Amino acid sequence: MTNNLPAVSVKGLHKSFGSHEVLKGIDLAAHDGDVISLIGASGSGKSTLLRCIPMLEIPNSGSISVGEAHITPRDGKLSRADERTARAIRRDLGFVFQNFNLWPHRTVLQNVVEAPMIVQRRNKAECRDEAMALLEKVGLSDKADAWPNQLSGGQQQRVAIARALAQKPRALLFDEPTSALDPELVGEVLKVMRDLADEGRTMIIVTHEMGFAREVSSRTIFLHQGLVEEDGTPEQVFGNAHSERCRAFLSGYFDRA
Amino acid sequence: MDTVYLLDLFKKLLGGLPLTLNLAVFALLGGFAIALLLNLLRTTRIGNAVAGTYIFFFRGTPLLVQLFMIYFGLAQFEFVRSSFLWPLLREPYWCGLIALMLNDAAYTAEILRGGLRAVPRGAQEAARVSGMSRLQILRRVTLPIAVRQALPAYSNEIISMLKSTALVSMISLMDVTGIAREAVAETWRAVEIFLCAGLIYLVLSLIITRATSWAERALSPWQFGARQ
Repeated sequence: MTNNLPAVSVKGLHKSFGSHEVLKGIDLAAHDGDVISLIGASGSGKSTLLRCIPMLEIPNSGSISVGEAHITPRDGKLSRADERTARAIRRDLGFVFQNFNLWPHRTVLQNVVEAPMIVQRRNKAECRDEAMALLEKVGLSDKADAWPNQLSGGQQQRVAIARALAQKPRALLFDEPTSALDPELVGEVLKVMRDLADEGRTMIIVTHEMGFAREVSSRTIFLHQGLVEEDGTPEQVFGNAHSERCRAFLSGYFDRA
Repeated sequence: MDTVYLLDLFKKLLGGLPLTLNLAVFALLGGFAIALLLNLLRTTRIGNAVAGTYIFFFRGTPLLVQLFMIYFGLAQFEFVRSSFLWPLLREPYWCGLIALMLNDAAYTAEILRGGLRAVPRGAQEAARVSGMSRLQILRRVTLPIAVRQALPAYSNEIISMLKSTALVSMISLMDVTGIAREAVAETWRAVEIFLCAGLIYLVLSLIITRATSWAERALSPWQFGARQ
């Protein structure tokens, strides 16, 4: 599957909310099989960057490519053609939210089959079988007929991961997937993510789990005030960062633990 | 009390039931459609002003006044009498239905707005990020959740609309109340007659209450301790 074109590519991304400039020109390329961790203090723009990729936030300038699909928004707006491209991009990405965002009116299984059936219009029985296999994979096949609010946070997040996988995405995006969880539930979600990384899935992960970022990612990017401040292998970023700020940020984390 | 008379009276009053139900059902259906439209309008600035003004007038004036305006008021205008709508607007049935429908729409729009506001943003974002179109998001996520949230308040509106149909007896329609009023004019047995009419509305309300609470459970099993 590897070719020269990156799975996800971000170029010169700028994003402002009102007069506040959150992203000040970000470049990022994720090739197939890359596991990229985005770290940084809150307000550094890492979540905004992630949300710009499927156009949940429309960038003010810059461009986004996912596979062949390419989009260059102007002034934070999407043209009609851009809107179609954005939908194609979203179909090709799996997105996992901090707050799971399962559909409360659908059972676990219905949550997982929704996108393949409604968006990709694939065969119902086939979607069902695949969804059951995905639930098996995240260890929740016995909860297929449960409602989301009957599950723990960790279970809901695992369903959300299964739901993202059901789209057969080119890349998976995780927006602080364990930040809303009770500490004892974090492990089960990280384990699922680690398995996905081991399978060679392309992943971009915004996280505060530094241990996880260090062990699992193939590349770690430290954002500071809307700019990439440090970009390298986890060994380099965690062990021997060039940036003073990055070292200070990380020592803040590891001193606490 | 005269049981033979009462039985006979009941039969007579029940003759108005089809019209009462007809008006209630079609006013609710039409009202819901208009309410949906009003909420879609609310997404634009001008549309929001239009919807807000509509709701202000129809909630702020008595239904009876609206009914009279449509039935008696519109006929004063020559352009109405000469328009293609006149065959409808000179019929008391259509005037009654239109008044009920327009009034119901104002209330239902507000109930629906409450339901829409209660839809979690995250659920809509999850739908967007899965590649759904705007229409698909509305159909598959936003409306189903909004309607469920709005159902308890909407069941109130259904009952209220059922009882409001009684007002059409003021423009000569023979619904349950219309027949009751005619019977009172003939016999002066107001207590028995209005008690019987009231009883019919009471039974209908009971059925609606049961049906909507059943619907609430059926649509949102997770809120009622459903266990798998």
